[in-house]
Amino acid sequence: MLKKRMDIKLILALIPFCILIIGFELLPAVSVVMESFTGNEGGFSLEQYVSAFTKMFYLQSIKNSLMISAVSSCIGIIAGLFIAYAITKVSEQTRTRVLMISNMTSNFAGIPLAFAYIILLGSNGIFTILFEQWGLPIFSGFNLYSWSGLILVYVYFQIPLAALLLYPTFYGIREEWREASALLGASTYHFWRRIALPILLPAAAGTFTILFANAMGAYATAYALLGGNYNLLVIRIGSLVAGDVFTRPQLGSALAMVLGLTMVLSLWINERLMRRVRRDLG
Amino acid sequence: MSYLLIENVNKTYNSTSVLHELNLEVMEGEMVTLLGPSGCGKSTLLRCISGLTDMDKGSVHLEGRNITPLAPKDRNVGMVFQSYALFPNMNVYDNIAFGLSMKKKSSQQIKSRVEEMLQLIDLTEKAKSYPHELSGGQQQRVSLARSLAVEPKLMLMDEPLSALDAKIRKHLRTELRQIQKRVGMTMLFVTHDQEEALTISDKICLMNQGRIVQTGSPDEVYSKPKDEFAARFIGSYNVLSGEELSMLLAEPAYSKSAGKYALRPEAIHVKQNSLGLQPTSTSSGSDAAAHICLGLVEEAVMLGNIIRYRIEANGVRLLADVLNGDQAMKFHEGDAVQIQFDRQACLPLAPSGT
Repeated sequence: MLKKRMDIKLILALIPFCILIIGFELLPAVSVVMESFTGNEGGFSLEQYVSAFTKMFYLQSIKNSLMISAVSSCIGIIAGLFIAYAITKVSEQTRTRVLMISNMTSNFAGIPLAFAYIILLGSNGIFTILFEQWGLPIFSGFNLYSWSGLILVYVYFQIPLAALLLYPTFYGIREEWREASALLGASTYHFWRRIALPILLPAAAGTFTILFANAMGAYATAYALLGGNYNLLVIRIGSLVAGDVFTRPQLGSALAMVLGLTMVLSLWINERLMRRVRRDLG
Repeated sequence: MSYLLIENVNKTYNSTSVLHELNLEVMEGEMVTLLGPSGCGKSTLLRCISGLTDMDKGSVHLEGRNITPLAPKDRNVGMVFQSYALFPNMNVYDNIAFGLSMKKKSSQQIKSRVEEMLQLIDLTEKAKSYPHELSGGQQQRVSLARSLAVEPKLMLMDEPLSALDAKIRKHLRTELRQIQKRVGMTMLFVTHDQEEALTISDKICLMNQGRIVQTGSPDEVYSKPKDEFAARFIGSYNVLSGEELSMLLAEPAYSKSAGKYALRPEAIHVKQNSLGLQPTSTSSGSDAAAHICLGLVEEAVMLGNIIRYRIEANGVRLLADVLNGDQAMKFHEGDAVQIQFDRQACLPLAPSGT
């Protein structure tokens, strides 16, 4: 009897969560799926997917998004690996501070980040003008409102995120492995090549997929910086769903499905790789 | 000539002396155990020998060669860690082969040596298993094989059995000793477990506060503890002051002694009070060296094959171990018993730290 009452209480406690999930996650997702399979004239159709994968304009947006995500994730993962390793070697006080800053900067994205960059490195940005006045026009040739500008802004939150995700893995590299390998005749190079890097690799690849998904889904930063001037998947979806000129929510839904699938695939790969990391370092 | 010679080794961490003017000699093929409580410096000594920790002063000679300035990889010393330290990304075969490949052996040589090692540790069928698929005991055997594979001149074992449960630990220490004898390997074994040290060693070095306080065969160290620390650490010795011994034996001569005396618990025979002794009476019985007096059982603890009694006799508390077998010799709390021991079993102890 008591158990039954407890069960009812637990179910009641779950109701707000279920409403949230159904109302804000499942129903919109189902709606996007259904919309994506709806033709321009209504009814079931693959027309939107055909448009998405055949029209150069949309293919270019997919390609641009994939490229910018891949490049910013590559830079993020390489820098993140070094920073994460350094984090494990500094004093506890420094580590706490670096982690705090990393945490803050990895979450400093979207419109505030874009404006911060515009103020600092835009055409009339503080550093652009300051360096020009000092006779060092190092930023005058740099265009923030371009592909490389977007990469720079993405990298700003990708690097700290990579460092935050990777540093626990470095703690998993046990000093005894290094000592055992040294006594067996291995040099530092051999230790990293044969033991540490193979152990780190799944975690690094897993982190890369997270960074990739993060960049693929970053909308506000790109929109605030470039508006509709750069052809990215997220910007195309935004303009097709809530554009100023015309809207095609069905095609927007099909592109959102493409975006969603790339992110699901990334997270699935991450889960598979992290399972191996947990096994090796557990 | 000593196979391993350690001379005047000093090591200090943050102004705390961990090893103090430590000297040690090990003969070829010997199994020597460094026994001592946690923090006494035994693992640090092992790390100094392997080169994983730098020492402040002193030298390590192996086979007559000074290896002090050499890097760990050039010392030809193997080490087995408490936590096994197997490489998780490699299977058993690759773990054992690692050191051989570092020494640039041919694939045929590697294969044959790894197979030999797998046979030695009886894990041939687990060659393709990864460390996480093995039990703790199996992992430790692989760790041993990995170190043995490169044929080190000296094997260091840093509490290799501590992470294992009691049954596997007992089994593995026997196996370890057999392997050591079979391959004739010189081993330096670190443990804080007295029973383990007594079972496995040719020689025990008892350590305390960065010093070796006593060295000898297991029998010597157990039956002739040098000082109070040794007596308390190596067994459950009764350590008595001169005054306590004087009260126990009812002989005032000992009361002026400043030293302490050790009496092994199994040297005290506990019997029924068949002589009808009174609380203050003592007797020598038929043997002049034997001392007999009345005691009162305060506690009886069953430790498997022995029963440990805490007995109060002449105002002195003693521990006495009796084999658990004879029903007639089982006593309970509050029983008056006759205790008997040889006066010569009371060993005078040197002051600790001398």
